[in-house]
Amino acid sequence: MAEQPVDVEPGGENVAGETPAPEPEAVTDDTTVHDEDVELERTIGLTGGLAIGIGTMIGAGIFVFPGLAADNAGLAATLSFAIGGLVALLVALPTSELATAMPRSGGGYYFISRSLGTAGGAIVGLGLWLGLVFAAAFYLVGLGHYVVAVSAEIGITLSLGPAPPHVVLGLLFGAALTALSVAGTERTAALQNVIVVVLLVILTGVLSYGVLDALGVFGRQTVPDTFFSKGYSPVLSTAALVFTSYLGFAQVATVAGEIKRPSRNLPLAMVGSVIVVTVFYAVTILVATSTFGADRLGTFGETAMVNVGRNLLGLPGAVLILVAGLLATFSSANASILSASRSIYALSRDALLPRKASEINLKYGTPHVALAMAGGPILVLVATDSVEILAEVASFLHLVMYALICVALLVLRRRNPAWYDPDFRMPGAPALPAIGAVASVALIAFMNLASIVIGVVIMVLSYGWYRYYADDVRLKGDI
Amino acid sequence: MTRPSVLVPIRVLEGESLPEGVPELLANAHVVLLGYHVVPGQTAPGQARMQFEEKALTRLEEFETVFSEAGATVDHRLVFTHDAQQTIDRQIRENDCLAALVPRAVTELEDILVAVRGTVGVDRLARVVAGLFADREMDVTLYHVTSEDETDADVDVLLDGLADRLADENVDPDRIETRTDRDVKPVDAIADLAESYDCVVMGESDPTLSTFVFGMPADQVADRFLGPVLVVQREPTDDE
Repeated sequence: MAEQPVDVEPGGENVAGETPAPEPEAVTDDTTVHDEDVELERTIGLTGGLAIGIGTMIGAGIFVFPGLAADNAGLAATLSFAIGGLVALLVALPTSELATAMPRSGGGYYFISRSLGTAGGAIVGLGLWLGLVFAAAFYLVGLGHYVVAVSAEIGITLSLGPAPPHVVLGLLFGAALTALSVAGTERTAALQNVIVVVLLVILTGVLSYGVLDALGVFGRQTVPDTFFSKGYSPVLSTAALVFTSYLGFAQVATVAGEIKRPSRNLPLAMVGSVIVVTVFYAVTILVATSTFGADRLGTFGETAMVNVGRNLLGLPGAVLILVAGLLATFSSANASILSASRSIYALSRDALLPRKASEINLKYGTPHVALAMAGGPILVLVATDSVEILAEVASFLHLVMYALICVALLVLRRRNPAWYDPDFRMPGAPALPAIGAVASVALIAFMNLASIVIGVVIMVLSYGWYRYYADDVRLKGDI
Repeated sequence: MTRPSVLVPIRVLEGESLPEGVPELLANAHVVLLGYHVVPGQTAPGQARMQFEEKALTRLEEFETVFSEAGATVDHRLVFTHDAQQTIDRQIRENDCLAALVPRAVTELEDILVAVRGTVGVDRLARVVAGLFADREMDVTLYHVTSEDETDADVDVLLDGLADRLADENVDPDRIETRTDRDVKPVDAIADLAESYDCVVMGESDPTLSTFVFGMPADQVADRFLGPVLVVQREPTDDE
């Protein structure tokens, strides 16, 4: 099967005189084919795709947010997670359709630049890079909290200079992960798969016990609670906050160019990972709140799940959750750094960033400039230690992309250019993508003002960069 | 006679050049020259292409010229990949290659060892040996390790049949020898015997639990034998 690629001849040049790289000639199940018999092998299967999606998402939703969410919305935080999952699903469907029509690296950025033009592409592309940077910083702060909790569990109180210990640890892990990505030649992808499997096994075990416990099987009283204990409006603002736990499916699209049998595996990996994590999140919140009640859960902060584990299964439960939390936040941060580097590559390929940015070093074969452009800002952001702002800005920048993905789908369906031939067509168009676009924007409205301001400033700066650096670059396909 | 197509995989950017003697070895072949470059998981293959395509293509074209000058017909491919084995397997399938070469230097080509496993795949083995070595000044030894459930008569039929077929296809019958051993481990026996030959031709086995644990016999032989090994590929199955 050789499919027609997007009918686009990128043109123009940026201020440095670089032009966008030519598009490939064809896309097959196994390769992307360029001229002169040069091929790019597709090596990530369905399992790998699911591992990227689930591995990116599950860290935040289960190991960082339950306490924060319960603090904000009470038991109704369950509903907040459900709303987040619904929005994610509404966006995962159009993303899947576009990805099967254009299985190229860069994901959402690629779809939008080819269907809505360079300006939209630049805003989304730079936003995706920075969104992932914010997300990675958020995961690293969470990771820091888990390491502190682990030390507390074995009786060591960490004191690491003037900054709070979890921030120092977050910085150390951030620097180590970046260095590892540059110099590591091990098979990180295989490691990611193993981590995700271990995580799912631990979670399924602890949660199954928790559900039986909540149902009263073990004869213990659960804590009764009013559902909307904090009122109705926090449900939506909490949904906006916890949406960071649903960003991972788009990371599958950033490696779309490396997925085998893209027409089958991309939709399955994206929609599948959203469904899997939504179920896990809902059960987690249910178990967590029925163990402690939302109010007490809220007082435990970022590592609330450790207390849940301990309450259910004693010390082994706490240890299991701690191990899982470390693995989960680590894998989320790792996946985000790698995706950020892929987005930088896609931007640099299209001359929206200097070609130098995607340069590969000869010693390790890794993109050290792009990784540094991800790792550097991440460290700055970790140092701010503002978990909620980091999470919300990450969500903001992704939600803008999601809304535009929905718009892109509507435009492509309407104009129906000859090259647009997705193997997966989402049901319910145009109504569902329209709802997806509106819901994405609506979630933004419920964020903190500070997050919205930061997000808007980043978008304006991105647009400014495009006008300054790459005003002349044309990426829009024939639509 | 049709030229047998042989895959020659070269890690084109890691200084791996065309080993000495390989163009002469494959002078009668249709060479599918695969230049590949393995990138780590952190790097998108396309990223490597942007940077290295030109350099890699230049080198591949140089190699292509060397093969053509030696007498082969050549097609080249350049692939950037995370997984070399997947790429090599796919190229063998897509280009319908009869054999793949483990490219190693060979100074003089005087004798080749052909390891014959059994009747399965013997046709492809014959096409490779006859295609590459007919009408050339070389000694061909057909070697078989007899297993417990085979009689010597079975083996004679097998090896003589192959020898006759090769003779029909213009391999000098006076230069064909047969040899068998019993009660030895095939991989060790082939690898030991190979030391006195310039090149080994052997079939790829069906994957079994033991090949999964210890690796393919052809790979094991290639690990020990320092010269070039031609690995004759299995018949492609329909579901691929």
